Amino acid sequence: MKSPYRVIRDLHLYAGLFVSPFVVVYAISAIVLNHAYLPWGGDGGTVETRTVAVRIPDDTNSLAVAAQIRDQLGIRGEIGFVSRNRRSQRVNFPVETPGVTTNVRVDLRSGSAEIERTETGVWDGLVYLHTMPGPHNVAIRGNWLATGVWGWVADASVYLLLFVSATGIYLWAVLRAERKAGLLFLGAGAATFGLLIIGIVA
Amino acid sequence: MTDASAVDRNESDGASGRRPDRLRTWNRKLHYYLGLYFLLFLWLFSVSGLLLNHSKWAMGQFWNDRKETVAERSIRAPNAPDDAGIAAELMRQLAIVGEVSDLRRDSTGKFDFQVVKPGHVFRVAAEPAAGRASVTEIELNAWGVMDALHKFTGVRMDRPNEQRDWLLTRLWSLAMDALALGLVILVASGLYLWWRLRQKRIGGLVAIALGVAGCGFFIYGFGLLR
Repeated sequence: MKSPYRVIRDLHLYAGLFVSPFVVVYAISAIVLNHAYLPWGGDGGTVETRTVAVRIPDDTNSLAVAAQIRDQLGIRGEIGFVSRNRRSQRVNFPVETPGVTTNVRVDLRSGSAEIERTETGVWDGLVYLHTMPGPHNVAIRGNWLATGVWGWVADASVYLLLFVSATGIYLWAVLRAERKAGLLFLGAGAATFGLLIIGIVA
Repeated sequence: MTDASAVDRNESDGASGRRPDRLRTWNRKLHYYLGLYFLLFLWLFSVSGLLLNHSKWAMGQFWNDRKETVAERSIRAPNAPDDAGIAAELMRQLAIVGEVSDLRRDSTGKFDFQVVKPGHVFRVAAEPAAGRASVTEIELNAWGVMDALHKFTGVRMDRPNEQRDWLLTRLWSLAMDALALGLVILVASGLYLWWRLRQKRIGGLVAIALGVAGCGFFIYGFGLLR
């Protein structure tokens, strides 16, 4: 029978290996977000604009109208928010996937939709993944299956990371030779963290 | 208790039993020490990440629980050459610290700006000519502080000209970069530690292949790599 140390070490190893690609994606996109800078020309977008006829859905729910028009246009992605102006009879909404934003502007009276597709690139796509599902537009978030699933994956990554860090503490604690040095690093990290938080919040 | 070092030694690829393997030793130490140093930062960003993704959770309702106060304050007309200087001078007079943003001036001479630090938002509407300013202070609870710390970079993707103007924002931003880099190093050192455990190579390959496939599915499936 395996010792607790072996079991926990194996769990730490396999969970860590599994979650590592997600960690790298989050870490790289965090640096991009932290500097508000898309490297290697990532901030230049390719824009295509076209106008097409659409059938106007008979629905009072703005998201339902936008979703039906999205499906008619064959555009895939998450509807960001829906702006509906009943007086001017216009509905505007963005459809977003990582790296591509499509703005749809619908004239309900004429039944036409202007579609502006912008390719924002890989870096912007990574930022999109980092920030999804996020705190905005909660009422309509997950209106595209893929972003709904990504939300679960993002949560699972966090839980796995917490598990890996907790098991890591155990694996360190059982190594007597590393306790003193480890405590120093843990203390130094806690001190850095505490001083920064106190400085920022107080 | 199991001798953890002996277990690891027995499952390693054998070479280290006969000759010193400094790379493996230091890589292992790096993995432990980096992980321990960044532990609290990692927990903060993990929990606040969950909070950001679940604003419907009770703890995510911090904005509804905010305390908001408005105070009318007397000010002296600032003597500064530009808007940033005027804001800095007014902040000094009003004893406000934090990251400045959203500076606006209208034709009547009114000067508005916002100062943010995690847990606090100050909205200043100043009328320098009249010698007064209205200061709205919004105070958030601990969950609001965590939420704000996760995003507290001082710059925004859609405002390329914004710069960090508070020393602590710069330090926090540096800590974020360090954590991101630290995580990448932890992943790399973890990969090396795993590879040296010969008995774990196949199981590890399966785990990492599943992770790469899962992550790649979204990156490729979302169209990022096409």
